[in-house]
Amino acid sequence: MSSKLRIIKDILWFFAFLALIAGIFRLWYGLGPTTALSDEMPWGLWKVMNMIAGVAISTSGFTIGFLVYVLKMERFRPLVKPAILIAFLGYGSSCLALLFDIGLPHRFWHPLVMWNEHSFLFEVFWCVMLYFTVTTIELSPTILKRFGAEKLSHWLHRIAFGVVVVGITLSSLHHSSLGSLFLVTPLRLHALWYSAWLPLFFIISAMAAGLMFIIFVRIAYARLYDPDPIYGLRMDSGIKSNGSEFFATPQMKNLALLGAIASSILGIYLILKFVDLARAGELMLLFNGSWESWLFMFELFVAALLPIILTVIPRVRRSPAGLGTAAFLASFGLVLNRMNVGIFGYFHDTAQPYFPSLAEWGLSLGVIAAAALVFMFISEQFPIFDESWRRRMEKSDVFTYAFDKLSHVWNTVLMSGLQRVTLIAVLAIPLAWLLFYPPFKADDTTDGRIKPAIGLDQTRTVLLIDGNRDGVKTEFPHVDHQNRLGKEQSCQKCHHIAMPRDNATPCYRCHSNMLDSAEIFDHFGHMQLVAEKEKLDGLHPKNHSCSNCHNPALPNTASDAKACTECHKEDMKLGNEPYARLQLASASPYRSAMHENCIECHKKEEIKQNKPNLAHCSTCHKSLEPVNLKIAKSADTIKALPEPLTLAR
Amino acid sequence: MEAWIDFAKGPLFAVTFLIMILGLARLLIIQLYNLIISKGGRLKNAPWKSILKDAATWFFPVKHLIKGTVIFSAFSFLFHIGVIIVPVFLADHIVLWENFLGANLPAIGQGLADFLTLFTIGCILVLLFMRIFVRRQRAMSKPMDYFLLVMVLFPFLSGYLASHPGSNPFTWESMMLVHLLSAEFLFVLIPFTKLAHIVLYFFDRISGLHWQLRPGAGDRVAKALFDEEARV
Repeated sequence: MSSKLRIIKDILWFFAFLALIAGIFRLWYGLGPTTALSDEMPWGLWKVMNMIAGVAISTSGFTIGFLVYVLKMERFRPLVKPAILIAFLGYGSSCLALLFDIGLPHRFWHPLVMWNEHSFLFEVFWCVMLYFTVTTIELSPTILKRFGAEKLSHWLHRIAFGVVVVGITLSSLHHSSLGSLFLVTPLRLHALWYSAWLPLFFIISAMAAGLMFIIFVRIAYARLYDPDPIYGLRMDSGIKSNGSEFFATPQMKNLALLGAIASSILGIYLILKFVDLARAGELMLLFNGSWESWLFMFELFVAALLPIILTVIPRVRRSPAGLGTAAFLASFGLVLNRMNVGIFGYFHDTAQPYFPSLAEWGLSLGVIAAAALVFMFISEQFPIFDESWRRRMEKSDVFTYAFDKLSHVWNTVLMSGLQRVTLIAVLAIPLAWLLFYPPFKADDTTDGRIKPAIGLDQTRTVLLIDGNRDGVKTEFPHVDHQNRLGKEQSCQKCHHIAMPRDNATPCYRCHSNMLDSAEIFDHFGHMQLVAEKEKLDGLHPKNHSCSNCHNPALPNTASDAKACTECHKEDMKLGNEPYARLQLASASPYRSAMHENCIECHKKEEIKQNKPNLAHCSTCHKSLEPVNLKIAKSADTIKALPEPLTLAR
Repeated sequence: MEAWIDFAKGPLFAVTFLIMILGLARLLIIQLYNLIISKGGRLKNAPWKSILKDAATWFFPVKHLIKGTVIFSAFSFLFHIGVIIVPVFLADHIVLWENFLGANLPAIGQGLADFLTLFTIGCILVLLFMRIFVRRQRAMSKPMDYFLLVMVLFPFLSGYLASHPGSNPFTWESMMLVHLLSAEFLFVLIPFTKLAHIVLYFFDRISGLHWQLRPGAGDRVAKALFDEEARV
């Protein structure tokens, strides 16, 4: 294995391990903590780049199948197997990424049984699933032959034509459906990309880019493994044997023809794009200088115009580097197009632009890397491109036991490949942990809003209090306290203020900050409400509402406002203590509120019931058992920290 | 400083600890693979009794101490006692174990911990001294040996100073940060250096079954066989 190939594989493995950890975190913690998705941008990198673009780029399975089996262009026969492998891995990796995006992967079979025939996605699901099966059937003879299942392989080969036709039908169905998905967002998607012709654009561009992608893969394979059939036999000096500028090997000539076909499809696509813009009267949008217009032009330039120009020149078309560049640009342009339609086109409508989280990048790139590794493995082990795998197999087993290159007796060599891969795993997995582990990047607990207590059972008899969700939990036997303090009448003893028309407002609603006091009086809301209630009019009706609460003779501050209870006498429940107006305007920090509320009462009961430890930390914080506390106190470190609670964490 | 300590206590600790665990697990698996798969036949007839006996005598190396480098061996043996007990069973560390692993270990008293820490620091200094100034130990030392000893010294020294403000010339925060970072650096070093003997020790005792080659021997053999840097 050449060192270049080994480095590429190492990098791919690295990303694959990142994806492994990102995937586990996503399934364990859910979409919220791991991704940057929001209600405004529910479709992120995984759906748009991995699924929609990934499926579109692997259309080569059906386009090459169409050229060879239907149009009988036998010269493309050597590309059939790679094309099927690309389709198989493209669809496989897309589905894998989608499983992580949707979640609950064990329910993948639901659409099979529970039909929703009104949904585009239902059709897409069926097509993708069936087409994935088709590619598996198409690919299996190659694999089976190697293991000696000749009969099965032969039978599968005989039904190949039928399977290919089914595959072509399915493909042409669902590629346009993926475009139709975006038809439901006429008001959100930017006008440059939104079009009634989206289904048409999607299938045409997918066909062209699929062909371009297989050209790119073929040339890249040649570069990495076996340059001769594409690059031609080289002399030692690196000069091509023919010496002519137009020299090309037969395989390269075929690829050049394929490139010409692909770029003519791209040409149709380009013309249709402009016709569509003209039809909708949006041509001028191209030149209004917004970043979308520049992006749109860049996309068309990279995805269509530049590849067409490159392939039109015969000399460039016939050189591996030139055609490879054109093919790469077209493939990249297709991905960019799908990202524009799926992500960037919505930015003008969302409050803040979506940028994928690290876990999203990790999973996205890692799934692609894993697909590339499988591609390399299969093309090394099976006759996908040519028969060179046999030569490689013969060469590789010469010297299987390796000595200690790492120069320590400790590092006994397992197998050179696995040795490297495990080493990469050891480094990549902790790195992924550091980058993706949701609690590490959880927003600052000091300014995050307090989360409600969790009921430990259905009837919420015991509440788990962990306001900032940092793991210091307190079990609070709620019903137990109710019973002890006088059942139904007891609420106001702890819930000292209830919001209007509420019996017992949860603590977190007002004490919404861990370490800071929080505003609870909704001044603007009151203005609006009063204006509506009193039917005030004028240009700024809300402004006339001041006198409802404030004394006009005084300087309209909080201290001269009406007491809350004057209006809310009936609907607001207050505890026994008298509340000044200012106290109702802001709530104390969550931590001190909880501590005061509990400890005050516990201190009284401590004396009354003669239970010496009732007001002790460990009564509520079970993790602060007295033993631990003693240790914490005895350590000299205690004086450096604000509270024993922090130390125990 | 506070933020750095929090970072070193939380994410960095978890990650470096994970590197150590995964790295050691990898070495363990590779060794087991080598033993079971490639030496499977020979493993059956291995002299298990004498191997176990040998391993046991190395745990309490009275016999080995008498012959050879007595002082050096004795100190390196004593050094291991503190190096194992203090980091695992120190009361302040028990809180860490509980938070990260949920394990509830018994703690050693503060007095014993202080004594063991100072004792370990003393052992390290003696070992360093001998490796530098005694000819026999200097001959068998490589730069890595000095480096690792100093690296082990750091967490012990800074930990002791951090927990004894009276004798600490620096601030508590700076010592704590040095303590955390040096310990975490050590975690990373463990699976990739000879510190890996914390798991590989047990395999070394079965080394009668291995080809025991000197470091770098493989390269030389390959060079002799193929006349090139053959790495397969």
